[in-house]
Amino acid sequence: MKRGYRHIKTRLAVIGAGIAGFAASIFALEKAIPVVQLGHTGAIAYTTGYLDLFGVSEAGIIDDPWAGLEQLRRTEPEHPLSRLANEDILTAFEIFTTVLSKMGIGYTVPGSENLHGLLPAGLIKPTLSVPATMLSGIKAMRRNEKTLIIDFEGLAGFSALEFKANFAGKWDQISTHKMSFPGLPSGQAYAETMARAIEVADTRQQLAEKIIQAVNGEKYVGLPAMLGMHEPDEVHADLERLTGLEIFEIPTIPPAVPGIRLREMFERVLPARGLVLEPQLKVKHVDFADQKVHLFLSGPLEDLEVEAETVILATGRFLSGGLNAGRNGLDENLLDLHVSQPPTRNDWYRLDYMDRRGHAINRAGIETDIDMRPLDVNGRPYSDRLFAAGAILAHQDWVRQRCGAGLAIATAYQAVEAAGRFLHG
Amino acid sequence: MTVAVTDFRELARDLLPQGASYEACIACGLCASGCPASGLFGMDPRRFIRMAALGLNEELSSTPWIWTCTQCKRCMYVCPMGIDASVLVGAARATWPMDKKPSGIVRSCQAQMRDDSTSAMGLRTEDFLEIIEETAEEIRDDDSRFAKLQIPIDKKNAQFIINQNSREPAVEPEELGPLWKIFDYVGADWTYSSKGWAAENFCMFTGDDDVWKSMVETRVDAINELKAKTWINTECGHSFYTMWKGIEKFGLEADFEAGNLISYYAQWIRQGKLPVNSDWNRDNLKFTVQDPCQLIRKSSGDPVADDLRFVAKILVGEDNFIDMQPCRSANYCCGGGGGFLQAGMTSERRAYGKRKYDQIITTKADYVLTPCHNCHSQMEDIGKFYGGDYKVVHFWTLICLSLGILGPNERKYLGPDLAGTGDE
Repeated sequence: MKRGYRHIKTRLAVIGAGIAGFAASIFALEKAIPVVQLGHTGAIAYTTGYLDLFGVSEAGIIDDPWAGLEQLRRTEPEHPLSRLANEDILTAFEIFTTVLSKMGIGYTVPGSENLHGLLPAGLIKPTLSVPATMLSGIKAMRRNEKTLIIDFEGLAGFSALEFKANFAGKWDQISTHKMSFPGLPSGQAYAETMARAIEVADTRQQLAEKIIQAVNGEKYVGLPAMLGMHEPDEVHADLERLTGLEIFEIPTIPPAVPGIRLREMFERVLPARGLVLEPQLKVKHVDFADQKVHLFLSGPLEDLEVEAETVILATGRFLSGGLNAGRNGLDENLLDLHVSQPPTRNDWYRLDYMDRRGHAINRAGIETDIDMRPLDVNGRPYSDRLFAAGAILAHQDWVRQRCGAGLAIATAYQAVEAAGRFLHG
Repeated sequence: MTVAVTDFRELARDLLPQGASYEACIACGLCASGCPASGLFGMDPRRFIRMAALGLNEELSSTPWIWTCTQCKRCMYVCPMGIDASVLVGAARATWPMDKKPSGIVRSCQAQMRDDSTSAMGLRTEDFLEIIEETAEEIRDDDSRFAKLQIPIDKKNAQFIINQNSREPAVEPEELGPLWKIFDYVGADWTYSSKGWAAENFCMFTGDDDVWKSMVETRVDAINELKAKTWINTECGHSFYTMWKGIEKFGLEADFEAGNLISYYAQWIRQGKLPVNSDWNRDNLKFTVQDPCQLIRKSSGDPVADDLRFVAKILVGEDNFIDMQPCRSANYCCGGGGGFLQAGMTSERRAYGKRKYDQIITTKADYVLTPCHNCHSQMEDIGKFYGGDYKVVHFWTLICLSLGILGPNERKYLGPDLAGTGDE
């Protein structure tokens, strides 16, 4: 059958649909740069919703991420965040969180200190900005407020008892309660299902009544993150109104609502703001011509060619397909870019998995110049039109350093600034 | 129930494209979390994939869950690794003995095989042609604006060839009229074929690839013979997917391109050929739209979802349109697809449809617009079952309503609020 063909011209193409990719699109839209974004949006659903900047260094948990970054510049000058100014990083965070809040998920204003975000296993995550639906839990823990934690029958991966046990000694005034979620059949339950169901006013009313019956003098109530998918702030406010309690969400392990929320919001709102988004197709091939970059994709019924003036590569690491770990080393999947990496496979990991110094493979990745242009093995830019952002970058260890969102947002900002300078000549 | 035990891991190796692997599954559960069939018969997509990877073939060979999975591919859409459980479900369906498969799906497929009409409702071609002529005659008699209405059959070299869902000619012929009127209004160069004219294909849902192929071949041969440029289904869902996918899967030669009616509605509106507006919606009735999985997520993607919304907003008024969430390619299947509506598993189908019902109710819409017949029937059924008071309508009804050409007998899906609207 004759296949369709679609051709799109744009000034900027973003390859990748994680936090870095979406941040790049948001920054480009803010600068009125026409942008097309390509890539499978699936993995963004793994985020907790917390936007951490820099939470853990060799010395331990960091309360002041800005001072932590100053220290990082001395100890790890090649770290992507070391190469950016604090004021630029703050600007990036402010734009990103402001836009998210306007798009439909309220976020706290990034401040001078990390917040102690709650995690389901009763741990805390030092993070710069959190969804508004999660804020009062942080306050309740800090003040050791009398709090009821509720879990639901059939919901795996979130236990109020476990939460209480792991916070013992730090937050003693926790009581727990297990309930069934109104209207759900027995068996395994998912937070996503609850989040959809609670958007129905009758279901919300029924849950509010069950919560009122469960409290015993507590002013604060913590729930697994399930307060709506589409309009969480409205659902949160309405549940607080119905119960007269301060209610907060605790992010759960995947499949978790906060990440799905972000994914669906990006897919829903950004196209309405001017982004051309292809959320299912992956770029198969890229050609750099003299004046343009041509990107090729194939859909079920048509082929798509994107003609761009600049490209930001934000394809992530191994899970998202940006990097590939082969028998003979690491490769970059799309353009075969030079990958900074340990000399041999034997050097990828230390003997002790829990070694506090981390593992060399986690710091492998793409090297760039200060304009975020990927460099070849001789230190020359691959192209003046290509920029990189996010977890694919070398010389960072975002999981251990609790800097994944910060890395994505700040380097995406820097990449868009550099692409903008190139485009405007 | 006993069926032959299938080695699902082996099967997966044959089914998946090069480089893909079910072993890429990291068991995160996004598929199960986002699937309305999760929990039915104690199964979900993650469990199905994990059990296949672990070699639990006996259990997978006998679970009736495969008939509740609508093969909507939402699991693949949300999976970061792009794993498609529906392919394995289709293969599992094929392994069941014919007499153990849900009889409603089997009967629909068998009806298609009876003659070259390929109609799942068993409507023979001579009856189809007679019904068309009688219905056209009524329109010519009733509405002087369409006194010269002609329904072309087997016209060669037409721009459009239309596959017609059998439901209209078989049980509600008055619903044929609105689309004909639209074609007449825009001056479309179109035709039906007297062979392979039907727009449904339940043989894909029985898992019988040979018959699926045979149905598609009949239709492709007919279209090739008539040398039509663009093949279009009536407002429809699954048949569109079974046709283009069948052409691709079975390597058939097709000398035409696939089009869809919604995008042509959008094009004709943009060109001024369909001067529709929302003036008729004086009471500001609220509308939402259902994205059929087979048309959007599985076939044409968000560009056609955009066309759906463009047409809907023009027709009902921008402020009277409310999207369901999630929507477009991320939309939930309503539970009417995959043969579920014909499978006789009513309580499971309604449990599946609860998520769709919640989506609809949250919009507070008075009407749901959808271009898919199975979506249409399922959303009507769950609305009645769960106590919703919304109605479900085709696009063609509102287009003709807006143009003032909707006949009095073409309003069966409109409520009393629109019974006389636009009736000149």
